[in-house]
Amino acid sequence: MKLKLQHVGPITDAELAFGDLTVLVGPQATGKSIALQMLKLMVDTGYVQDIMTRHGLDWSGKLPEFFDAYFGEGMHGIWNDEQSSVGWKGQPIDMPKVVGRRKKNKRDSMFFVPAQRVLALRDGWPRPFSDYSPGDPFVVCEFSERLRVLVEREFGSSEKLFPQERRLKKEFREMLERSVFGKFPLQVDKFRAQKRLVLGAAGESLPFMVWSAGQREFVPLLLGLYWLMPPTKVSRRGDIQWVVLEELEMGLHPRAIAVVLLMVLELVARGYRVCISTHSPQVLEAMWALRHLKENGASPRALLTMFEAPQTQSMQRLAQTVMNKSVKVYYFDAATGRTRDISDLDPASEEAGEAGWGGLTEFSGRANAAVAHAVANADGKGQS
Amino acid sequence: MTFKSAVEETPDLKGTWCSGLQALPKTDRQHMDVADTGRLSGSINVEAALTKKCPDPRWDYAIGYRPGNVSGEVVYWVEIHPATSGEVKVVLAKLAWLQRWLRELAPRLHAMRKEFIWVSSGKTSFTLSSPQQKRFAQAGLQHKGRVFRIPDKAV
Repeated sequence: MKLKLQHVGPITDAELAFGDLTVLVGPQATGKSIALQMLKLMVDTGYVQDIMTRHGLDWSGKLPEFFDAYFGEGMHGIWNDEQSSVGWKGQPIDMPKVVGRRKKNKRDSMFFVPAQRVLALRDGWPRPFSDYSPGDPFVVCEFSERLRVLVEREFGSSEKLFPQERRLKKEFREMLERSVFGKFPLQVDKFRAQKRLVLGAAGESLPFMVWSAGQREFVPLLLGLYWLMPPTKVSRRGDIQWVVLEELEMGLHPRAIAVVLLMVLELVARGYRVCISTHSPQVLEAMWALRHLKENGASPRALLTMFEAPQTQSMQRLAQTVMNKSVKVYYFDAATGRTRDISDLDPASEEAGEAGWGGLTEFSGRANAAVAHAVANADGKGQS
Repeated sequence: MTFKSAVEETPDLKGTWCSGLQALPKTDRQHMDVADTGRLSGSINVEAALTKKCPDPRWDYAIGYRPGNVSGEVVYWVEIHPATSGEVKVVLAKLAWLQRWLRELAPRLHAMRKEFIWVSSGKTSFTLSSPQQKRFAQAGLQHKGRVFRIPDKAV
């Protein structure tokens, strides 16, 4: 399953062959998000067109107008008619034709959690698609609408959203209580006639703006995970096969990042094909460890120990399943505009991009070298 | 003081100086990449020179280099060793020995600008951001993958 992009925005040449879990790394403005949104467009073309039309967006069959509506205002500039190209599953895609003609299939098979997810909960309640302006990225509006539907349909009569007995594994709930929420439950509250999400029990509840930055970032993600892990015996939601999660680490302490990562592995174990982008070295530490645990035939317990997760049967099954899945890591190189497969994550690689994990550990390397030099020459000698 | 004269003035190493990277056997030279070979000021095989005089632990090589940005030379003290967690203690013990030997028996070389380098002879089992790397740095040691690129400019 390959996506190939050439001369799209800052990307000169990107070739992404997706694993069960795919991780994208690279500096800001190197095209990671564009690549992921393009993937969504390839996977869900008919659905995207249908939702945009239903919400009154009209691109007159033209590519620049479509890109401004889909990627967001001003983003038509990422496409150059002379140079830009997209390939999907080994086939060249005629983008003007794709945009100009409506596709019949209107079902979606990808759930996209955007980096701007905090916007979905402005004022503490999920905003509907129609609340956004036509220049806002489609993936943000759609994610927000999904949360609204989830909260209104599936929690209509319930006051408590977290912890909820039938939502998430018990082990995850306990880990999240420890690392994100403390003893504050996430609840639906009413302020005058307006519903809103609050943390804490009645009388001592904290509204959205009072939450920590990490809690504000995490709650939309939690609701997204609720959507993907329905409270029934089915392991996946509807026809959803793909999950994109941008910058899962935003605002979170490393302990909370570890729990979110473990829940990402749960998505992979459930059979979703998951793509994440990240600026967190911790995420790559986990991918590196997963690779070496697999290669050395370690037991699932080793993986759970790394995450400080309970060694229950259910968690061991999860770890065992994940250890049989494939992981790919791609580096978006700002200097060349190209992507590089750095899945080996070899810290001793002769390729600087791989050894420095796409820049995520470069600074550590320089800090280590600076301190080592200072210590080696500390006695005032050796400076001549 | 040049690297060559400092070596000659160190009794334990007298007569061991070699030009370029000649002190390194071919198998170990493949772990080295030199930005400008014209700036090399020689090398010594420390391990071979001290085998009889000093019991373990010892260090592998010293390489002299004239960087483009500072006056004088830098001596890179290079140990080529497996980079696995179990070897951390071994290499740190070697480093402690080397630093003591430099202070006590090789004052000329000790007085020169220097870097202590660990090059992986095989797989590496710790990452750049790992606590082990911080431990090495605090001991004055830099761990550099499988190939050590001697940079054109000194720190």
